[in-house]
Amino acid sequence: MSSPEQRLFEADVQAAPYRIGAAKGQWGLAGAEALPENAAWPKVYLWMAAAPRTNAPDRFYVALDLTGYRTAPPTGAFWDPVKRKALALDKWPKGRAGSRFAMVFRTSGFTGAGSAFYHPYDRVALIGHARWSTEQPHLVWSDSHTIVDYLEEFQTLLTSGDYLGI
Amino acid sequence: MENSDIELFLHAQGMTPQAVTASPEDTLRKVLLRAAIIPEGKDEVLVFVGECEEALKEASDIEDGVDEHEPIDIDLTLDVLEIHRHRHVHYHRCHHIAVEVNFGGKTKRHEFSPATTIAVVTQWARKKFPNLDPAAAAEYVLQIAGTATQPRPSEHLGEVVSAGTCSIGFDLVKEITPQG
Repeated sequence: MSSPEQRLFEADVQAAPYRIGAAKGQWGLAGAEALPENAAWPKVYLWMAAAPRTNAPDRFYVALDLTGYRTAPPTGAFWDPVKRKALALDKWPKGRAGSRFAMVFRTSGFTGAGSAFYHPYDRVALIGHARWSTEQPHLVWSDSHTIVDYLEEFQTLLTSGDYLGI
Repeated sequence: MENSDIELFLHAQGMTPQAVTASPEDTLRKVLLRAAIIPEGKDEVLVFVGECEEALKEASDIEDGVDEHEPIDIDLTLDVLEIHRHRHVHYHRCHHIAVEVNFGGKTKRHEFSPATTIAVVTQWARKKFPNLDPAAAAEYVLQIAGTATQPRPSEHLGEVVSAGTCSIGFDLVKEITPQG
């Protein structure tokens, strides 16, 4: 039997805000072929569409740990749907030097580098960044946030002009 | 749900969107009543179909533009209204939302359809201020004036405005880059 937090997540992916993005091709749940053999809650696998760039994929997959959903923020990073393991760091999307994009998807220099995004929505990246809650109050995760807030935040970056490719 | 049923998304002021399914032969009035978006017996309602992107076609030197997105007759069927293509239906008491965006000591104005996403308003605003560095434009977002609230890009203007008002002000602000 699924846990209350898993049922909450499943309800959120059936609700209109998620379905609107899915209908527009902005995001979706990863297919069975992209999942590891031991895929089970609280790990979930999703994809987000990216702007077209030369030799870059049209979508990026993420593997998220949703323990404590929605009370606790998610944590996770890019996923390789073919090798069915964490995406190699040299395949991560790259951003304009000095941009917010480049900082959010940095792969070194913080707790969780390479397995989390450098962003207040990631509970591992939050460690040691108490100031973020006052500097970016609109990005403080609360139990009124859903997976749509997470997807929309990062998918917007992946379709922004600051995204350069891989 | 029958195979021919249509999934559509209902929007209104102050409400999280609803996803509903309906037959192409249903009138939009029937769908809106069933979802309790409009009350029984209310004849004068403004309902828009689709998401309006007219402002993106506006030349950057046009001041005080107005969207031409017109409300539709809700007694028509979903099939006639081509809801299968438009997907979004927005009920609002305002024909337009008067938007002011402030940046660098200047203000730009436009009267948008309530069925305009924040993403579209943001794109419009980024083009309207010649003193905004184009290289950094992607990092500028809309924040409701006098608050720390930054609506999500997919939200409709009509959902974001306060009840009883047909206008809203935003500041165009640089999104903070995580540091430290």
